[in-house]
Formats: sequence, C-alpha cells, structure tokens
Amino acid sequence: MFSASRFFSWSVLLLALVVFAVGCGKGGGDSTATPEPGGSDGGGAGKRIIILTNGTSPFWDAAKIGAQEAAADLKTAEAGLRVVVDTNDFSDKGQIDKLRSYQGMSDVAGVGISITNSGNSSIADELRKLAKQGVKVITIDSDVDRKNDRDSRIAYLGTDNVYGGEELGKAAKGLKPDGGNYATFVGLKGAANAIERIGGFGVGAGDKFKQKENFGDGGDQNTARKNVRDAIDRNADLDTLVGIWSYNAPAIVDIVTQLKRRKDFTIVTFDAEPIAIDHMKNGMIDAMAVQNPHAMGYEGVRMLKALITDDKDALAAMEKRMNRTEEKDLFDTGLKIIIPDEGSPLAETKFGDNTNKLTLSKFTEWLKSKGLQGS
Amino acid sequence: MALNSGGGIQGTQVPSGLSRLYSRYATECGLLIAIFAVVVIAILIDPTNAYLAKPWYNATEILRHASILGIFAMGAGIVIISGGIDLSSGSVIAFSGVICCSIILGLCQAAGLVDDTGNPVPANLPGWILVVAISGTLGVAFIVGSFHAWLITVVRLPPFIATLASLVGLRSLGRVLIQDVNRVFTSNANTQIYIRDATYKSLGNEWYIPVIICAVVALVLFTLMRSTVTGRHLYAIGGNEDAARLSGISIEKKKWLAYCIGTMTAALAGILYSSYVGGAMPDRDGLGYELNAIAAAVVGGCSLAGGLGTISGIVLGAIFLRVVIDAVAKTVKDNPDEFQGMIVGLLVVLAVTFNELRSQKGDRKKFFSGALGVVNIVSLTVLMGLVAMLVTSDGDSSTDDSRDKLFAGCLVAVITFAVLVARKIFESRPAVEKSPVPISAAANAQDVSSGEDPFVDPGKQEIEGDAPEGGDADEGRDS
Repeated sequence: MFSASRFFSWSVLLLALVVFAVGCGKGGGDSTATPEPGGSDGGGAGKRIIILTNGTSPFWDAAKIGAQEAAADLKTAEAGLRVVVDTNDFSDKGQIDKLRSYQGMSDVAGVGISITNSGNSSIADELRKLAKQGVKVITIDSDVDRKNDRDSRIAYLGTDNVYGGEELGKAAKGLKPDGGNYATFVGLKGAANAIERIGGFGVGAGDKFKQKENFGDGGDQNTARKNVRDAIDRNADLDTLVGIWSYNAPAIVDIVTQLKRRKDFTIVTFDAEPIAIDHMKNGMIDAMAVQNPHAMGYEGVRMLKALITDDKDALAAMEKRMNRTEEKDLFDTGLKIIIPDEGSPLAETKFGDNTNKLTLSKFTEWLKSKGLQGS
Repeated sequence: MALNSGGGIQGTQVPSGLSRLYSRYATECGLLIAIFAVVVIAILIDPTNAYLAKPWYNATEILRHASILGIFAMGAGIVIISGGIDLSSGSVIAFSGVICCSIILGLCQAAGLVDDTGNPVPANLPGWILVVAISGTLGVAFIVGSFHAWLITVVRLPPFIATLASLVGLRSLGRVLIQDVNRVFTSNANTQIYIRDATYKSLGNEWYIPVIICAVVALVLFTLMRSTVTGRHLYAIGGNEDAARLSGISIEKKKWLAYCIGTMTAALAGILYSSYVGGAMPDRDGLGYELNAIAAAVVGGCSLAGGLGTISGIVLGAIFLRVVIDAVAKTVKDNPDEFQGMIVGLLVVLAVTFNELRSQKGDRKKFFSGALGVVNIVSLTVLMGLVAMLVTSDGDSSTDDSRDKLFAGCLVAVITFAVLVARKIFESRPAVEKSPVPISAAANAQDVSSGEDPFVDPGKQEIEGDAPEGGDADEGRDS
C-alpha cells in the first residue's frame, strides 16, 4: 500500500544522495580535466601538489595567491599537476589526520606543510610515511624539529625565523636603546617558528631587555586580545609588546587603543596583515618584520614541481638563489623590516645583510606590484 | 512481557525471517544501507578511485577513526538512553590525556627512564608503566563520572548544567595541571607533554588496537543493555523516570553507572587520542568532541528524550559519520574541510529525519501545515539549492563554472520543492483511521500523557513472540 511517509522518507534520502553526489563530484571533475600530456613527465595524470597550512590567516591568503601564480607561470597543469592549498585548524590532530588521509589517496605527488607543532614527533612520523610512498615533502614557514626529525622532509622553505627574531629584536633595541620589559604573543607556543622567533628576539634585543611573559592563544583571536589585556594588567613595568604571529599585531593595537596607553608601549610585530598596515599608518606600530608568504607559496610550488618532475636544473637554480647558510636544506624567502615613513628612530639603524629595510609607503608600493593586500 | 533490544514489546504474532530481523534492527539496517551508498557514490565520483586503489588502507583508517569515536559515543549514548546528557566528553578526553601522560612522565622519572631534558626516553616503555597510567586514568574518569552523578542525583543540578561545568572546568584544570607537572618533572612550564615512546604511540596509531578495544567495549555494553536487569532499568529511567522510581528502581545507582560509563569510555578514547597525537595538548585535544558523540548516538537511533537507542546503532552511527567525512575528503579535492561541515551536517539531519519518518508516526505527522509550513518549504528549497550551488564551485578562479553551479542549484532546488510540495499535499488529505497495534496496555511504564511508549522506538513495535528474557523490569529491583 502507498504510504506518504515512506514516499517522503525515501525522497529525503534520494535528495541527500543527490546533494552529496553533486557536491562531491565537483572536485573530481576538476582533476580529470587536467590529464597528463604524453604521460611522460613523471607527474602522473591529475596528481596534486598540496600546500598544507597550520591554520587560516591573511598570511596564508597571500601564500595561496603565490601558489596559484606559480601554478600558472610554471604551467603545472601541463605536467599533470594541480595545486591545492589545504587549511588546518591549528591543531596537531588536524594535521596528522590530513597527512594520514593523503596516504590513502593515489593522486598526491607533493606536500608542502607548515608544521603546527615542531615538538610533536607524530607529525614527522606521518611525513616519513608519506615520503615512503614516493610523495615529495617539504616544510614551509614552520619547520620540523631539526634535531630529531630533519630526515622527515627534503627541505625547509621560508624565513629563517631565528634571524627574523633577531632582526625584530634589533628594531626594539633601536627604538628603546635603554632596554625594557617585553611580553610576546603568539598562536602556538610549541610551533617551531614561534620558538625560533621568540628566541631570536631575545638575542637581537640584547641584555637590557627582559622577557616578562609569553602568551599562546591557540589560534583564537579573542584569546589573543585577552592575552594582551592580561599582560598589561599583570605587569605594571611592561613597556614593549611583541606580536609573533600575523594576527597578534591587530590584537595588540586593539587593546592598547582601548586602554588609551599608546605612549606607554613600544609595539613591534611580525608580518603585515592589511589591518596592521593601517595601524602603522596611524602610528600604532613602530616596526614590522615582514616575511614573504607570497614567495613561500610561489617557491614552494616551484620546488615541489621540480622535485616531482626531477628537474635538477630548477633545483640547482633555487639553491644558488636561496641557500644563504651552510645548511643546504634551508631555503630563505627573505625578510623585510618595515618602518613608518617619518620620524622613526630606526631610519639610521643598520640591519643584517639579508634584510631589506623599507618605509611603509615603499612597502605598500611593493605589495601593489604583487597584487597583495598584506604579507 | 519483556522488552527487545531497543525496548520493543513482545506480543502474540511472529513475523519471521528477514522482515523480523529488519523490524528489530531497522535503524541498523538503514545505517548499513546508507554507509554502503556513501561508499559506492564516493567510488563512482572520485576519478582517482582512492577506495579502489588503496582499499585496505582506507578501510582500516575509517575503522580506526570510527572506533575511537564509537568508544566514547557509546558512553554518551548510554547517558542519553538513561534520560541524561553528557557534554563533558571532549574535555574528559583532553583531561585523560593529561593524566595519562603525567603518570607516564612521573613514573619514568621515578624509574630513571628520562633524557637530559627530563622527558621520557623514546624507547619502549616498560609495560607496567603503561598499565599503571591507563588504570590511573580510568580511575580518575570514574571519579569524574561519580561527581557528575552526585551533582545530578543529590545536588539536583540538571545534567546539562552539571556536565557543562565539566566541559569548561576539566579542560582548564588540564591546562593548569600540565604546566605544574612539567615544572615538577622537567624544570619548565610547557603546555604540552610529548611521549615519543613507540609502544605508547602504537595504541592509537595501529588500526586494530582501537578497533579491538571498541569491539570489546561494544560487546560488554551491548550485553549490559540487552541482557541484564540493569540495562532494562536504564531504558526505563530514560523512558519515564517517575514511573521507574515508583517501580522501585534505584535511580541514583543506575545514573551513577551511566555517567561513569560515559566518562570512562571518554577516558579510554582520550588515552587512544593522546597516543595518536603523540602526547597531551589540553588546550586543543578533543575540542568539540562531545557534539560528535551526541551526533553519532542520535544518528544511531538514540532519542535525546531518553529511553531509546541501541549500542549497535551507535557504533554504526559512528561508522556512518566517519565514512561521510572520509568520502568528502576523498572526493572534494579542493579544501574539503570547508565543505565537510556542511555536507556532514546536512546528512546528519537527513539521516535522523529519515529514521523518524520510517516509523508509522511519520504518516500522522504534519510537517508543512499552515503558514509556517509554507515558509519552510520555500526556505528549505532555497537552502538546498544554495548548498548544491556552493559545493559545485571548484574554487578555481581560472575556470568559469557558473553555469554548472546554477544548473546544480536549480536541479536540487526543483527536486526539493517537488518533494516538499508532494508531502504537503499528502498531509492535507483527510487522515485514515488505522487499526490499533495490540499492545498490552498495562505492559509498561508508559507515558500516558503523550500516548507513546517511552521504552520503544515506534519503528520497533513489531509484535514478537520471543520467550521472555531474564531482564523483566520486575526482577532485580533494588528495593
């Protein structure tokens, strides 16, 4: 006998399956659209290069633009390679899950990963398993623990974070020659880039600076703001605020603005989110150490393509251009120190050889030339 | 009379063979079909054929993930069946990781098995350390569960509030505790503990270990709920707590048991989780997992009103969720995370709706009557079309896929609209009187006011002729 209930329930199920099929079909359709011409370059039909981030931020938006530009410039599709940027949720488990998921796929040819937590050897274990399957693995922006897990990736590509920290420390020293008390703010305190930058900052700032506190927010921007407020509330003698990850800069400025205590603090930060650029224009940030996420995305794709297709010439050219230390598995994407256009005590300060010091207006011109809003 | 696994009531007629099996395990059968359908669709639309290229790896990965989810979903499910709710699973998972890793760290210190930084050496830990750590963690979980039961049955806090307090409090306690533990044992105040030991890491990484643990837990809890007086009482309490109390059932003891099962299964999952991620990181471990557990239980046939659900359904619910998540990751090649929540959320709602409608009750229910119904036909049509459009985007700005998106959106919107309008037309027909199901009126502690059997999934109220089980609610009363 006909039953309205059964008709409706089966219709609901059918509808669910239609939506699922429509939704899931789209990624696959795209893969088949890029067959490997000739099938001889080793890339394999519809293989993927995956850039796996540690989380979401404008920093990674810029890296994504770089990766997409590289895909177009280097004609990765002609080599049967698709470039995909996959985002993690700042958790170790999220990254481990994704790496294990890639192991179950047959179309992953290369992975460039920003390690969420360098102290966690489980992430490195999964990188080794991927490498065992023939997937080319490099780290971008944040490396594995180089003491224990260096063998888990082929190379690291990004800022030399110790050097970056030292340069920002030098900027703080230039702004406050008599030293001071500082607090650092970061997303994940266990991330390699966080540890290295904070360590480098201490070295660059020198003995006259004393670290009062180091806050982690787990990638939560509300917590990032709460941390700044807590640091100021708890430390009456605090006079320098150091933002280690990109979103920490606006978090610091927001709280200092709310408290109307700009004159009490020197503010130096990493990276240049669009809103942080505005803050520097408004005199709220004294110096920014800016990495080049666009280059990380671009060069990451270039390196992975070269590794997958065994293009030794391209790799040799990259080594010549980007290896700036004796450690030949480290590729430097450069560092910029950005200072306000006028009145900065840092105008005459000398930074390291690998640092490009720019005024804010020159930096924004450079961003415009790359089609970026931040870096 | 006696109750079947889902609380079904036995009568006089005996349907035989497959139809009887289906009527008894309708939810499970539906989930098995849904799991099979999702896998087949994923195979059909994934051009890289990941499931066919690496079937063993993918099957074991899904089973491993589903097992860890299934373990604490079963605990959450038993709490739900007994008429409560446990929001603390995620925090118990994080806290258990801290406890387990702290015990390992402390015992390694005591046994001199640490490196120069004070961390355990990455060699095989002695078995006794692991046994003590796991036992200690389960012991702490028992205490947490007992605390929940005390708050709920003695202090009389609503379960939602009592476990909400643990949801926020336990994670915070874990974050503070881990720094102190590190300060004592390693002379720094790190916010994580890493265990590099291969044996410990294998607990959560070798696929068969979580699967075996899940199978054992499932067997124990299945037996408890199906074949013991205590299990019957838990169903009875969830169905109608007042009636159960008047029947002489000791509510406090049964709830104590339910909440301890909830926290101890979460702790077991927490140990496996911590082993999987290589240590304890309480600020992010198990974040939001309480909702995953509740989702798996509800998809598996549990009613949030209590009194309904089976262990087998919960396990299959966990497998269904993991299969969907994995299928999305395999088939959506660009940023599957962005689509995962949307597709999983949609399928969970539809699966539960499907389950609800499968019952005869669905015939009587009017979903789209009046102005509210009309508005929701429109909103559901737009929503489904929008979802279809969004998921059809390939995220590649270089290709013009707007025509495909529009087509997919319109197709799904038209189908949705047709189905919902058809349903509304059927609903507006005059109701047909149905012959009543011959259920013995005095056979259960029924909620008279609602007219529904609190123990029984209406879809399971098939007449059965089994011999009464030893689990009659009258037996084994506590007083």
